[in-house]
Amino acid sequence: MSTELDTNSSYAMEIRNLTKKFGNFTAVDNISFNVRKGEIFGFLGANGAGKTTAMKILCGLSRPTAGEGTVAGFDINNEQEKIKRHIGYMSQKFALYPDLTVRENIRLFGGIYGLADPEIKAKTNNMLQTLEMENVRDKLAGELPLGWKQKLSFSIALIHGPEIIFLDEPTGGVDPETRRRFWEMIYEASEKGITVFVTTHYMDEAEYCDRVSIMVDGRIEALDSPAALKTKYKATNMDAVFRTIARKAQREE
Amino acid sequence: MWKYLLEKEFKQFFRNPGLPKMAIAFPVLMMLVFPFAVSMEIRNINLVVVDNNKSTVSAQLIEKCTSSGYFKLIDICQSPEKAQEYMDDNRADAIITIESDFDEETGKGTGLPLGIKVNTVNGTKGSIGAQYIASCIRMFLKEQDTGTAGNSTPTIDISEKYYYNPYMDYKVFMVPALIVIAITMVTGFFPALNIVGEKETGTIEQINVTPVKKTAFIICKLIPYWVIALFILTACLIIAWLVFGYTCHGNLLSLYLFSGLQIIVTAGLGLLISNYSNNAQQAMFIIWFFMMIFMLMSGIFTPIASMPEWAKVITYFNPMRYYADAMRAIFLKGSSPLDVWYDAAGLLAIGTAVVSWAIFSYKKTE
Repeated sequence: MSTELDTNSSYAMEIRNLTKKFGNFTAVDNISFNVRKGEIFGFLGANGAGKTTAMKILCGLSRPTAGEGTVAGFDINNEQEKIKRHIGYMSQKFALYPDLTVRENIRLFGGIYGLADPEIKAKTNNMLQTLEMENVRDKLAGELPLGWKQKLSFSIALIHGPEIIFLDEPTGGVDPETRRRFWEMIYEASEKGITVFVTTHYMDEAEYCDRVSIMVDGRIEALDSPAALKTKYKATNMDAVFRTIARKAQREE
Repeated sequence: MWKYLLEKEFKQFFRNPGLPKMAIAFPVLMMLVFPFAVSMEIRNINLVVVDNNKSTVSAQLIEKCTSSGYFKLIDICQSPEKAQEYMDDNRADAIITIESDFDEETGKGTGLPLGIKVNTVNGTKGSIGAQYIASCIRMFLKEQDTGTAGNSTPTIDISEKYYYNPYMDYKVFMVPALIVIAITMVTGFFPALNIVGEKETGTIEQINVTPVKKTAFIICKLIPYWVIALFILTACLIIAWLVFGYTCHGNLLSLYLFSGLQIIVTAGLGLLISNYSNNAQQAMFIIWFFMMIFMLMSGIFTPIASMPEWAKVITYFNPMRYYADAMRAIFLKGSSPLDVWYDAAGLLAIGTAVVSWAIFSYKKTE
């Protein structure tokens, strides 16, 4: 596996035989897939199917037990810190500093990614304007409504212009209108050429993805575009597809 | 990158609802309340006298003891059983039994018909109380001697001179030690809660997924505690000077030097513990455990020289031992860092080990 950034590759991620075990428990069981540059890749699965575990390996937060692969051209086994430079990550739990203000959070993460002060300033103004959050710039991030927190987290995950953004259930618990607006932001990012890797439990959101994979008991049971999956499983929507596939699950949560 | 991380740590510290108040309250409490509370001067020793002699001489002895101010006369009784009852009920700390031939024997220079019984449930109070009684009696006998002039009992006159603390003022002795305790506690507890707090809020994950350098992240967490602890040191020194009039006999900078070293050790330990803990409760218990050992085996309350060999070995791994020794030497004796170089070496060795371990054990990739 090449460790150099292969600019000719049309894949943002190439994963082969990825496995993660915790003791006797195999959380991720020998999965292989490619993610194309610029696509919105939906990573579906029931609770406990191994989505978050797999995603943490791809983000360099966790080491795989076996298997190999590249993310943004860097090896998932030993170039985790390089991967981190080129990706953005938004966890399912609000993970910005609740005791720092909106502006201070932007500044901190901008600084950590190595942006210079004027650059941070420009990005902050830009971001606050786009998010329509200028009024709350000096409010503590922890005091924001959930929908705003999510939008802020998403924008901060993009602050350093990453090639890939990982979103772990980004719309969990927010209202439908905010969800729609959030997906507009995802599309905007995708249009700029950023690869989006997203997990979700909402099947209507799965329809928005270019391709989706469905994990069952640590394995990828299906991977294709939503339209192709619907044809294959003779279903009218992704919800039916998901039920058909997830029914095979043996594993208790 | 460092600048932004430092900014974050300082803002978070000052926005915390409790920590800044603690940083102020700690030195004040330590310096204004504890020097009085931890005093080893024993007063109010409850005394029961069994007077079988009932002479003027025995009355004089009782008067001598009670007028010293250290004793509180509970009762003068005739039966030893009654006196024992007082002690069993914990109402008496000491019993003096004066035999019936006391007045005749006094001044003869032979054995003295006098018994002392001490309640040593509280060992310190008991042994110091016994010493006080003995010295009262010695003084009393001396007076009796001069009263009956010509009767030459060979007496040994011991004159003591105390160096570095001429009046044996316990507070002088404890002030540097209390500074040691204050700084060790604050710089141990605060950092222990820090990383574990980030684990609980989930923010550590957002940090771990960035290319932030481990060393930068840990060191930036350490620096604010350094500043805070040096502030506490300054506050303690000012209070000690204003309230008690105690000043440091050595170079003030050496106090800061040693405190700086100690902070590296304890803050490093706090961060290390918080790396291994999953929640604040765990971290608190573990740091408590260490703090107790540090304090009891530091030589602050009991001299290390009187510990058994195996305990002495443990003290070599106790940073507080070196820090307390250096602080007392500098504050009371005016030692220079060169005089206590071994303390500096001990702190440096432990500090390097602990901070390296803290950085090593913080894993950005599980």
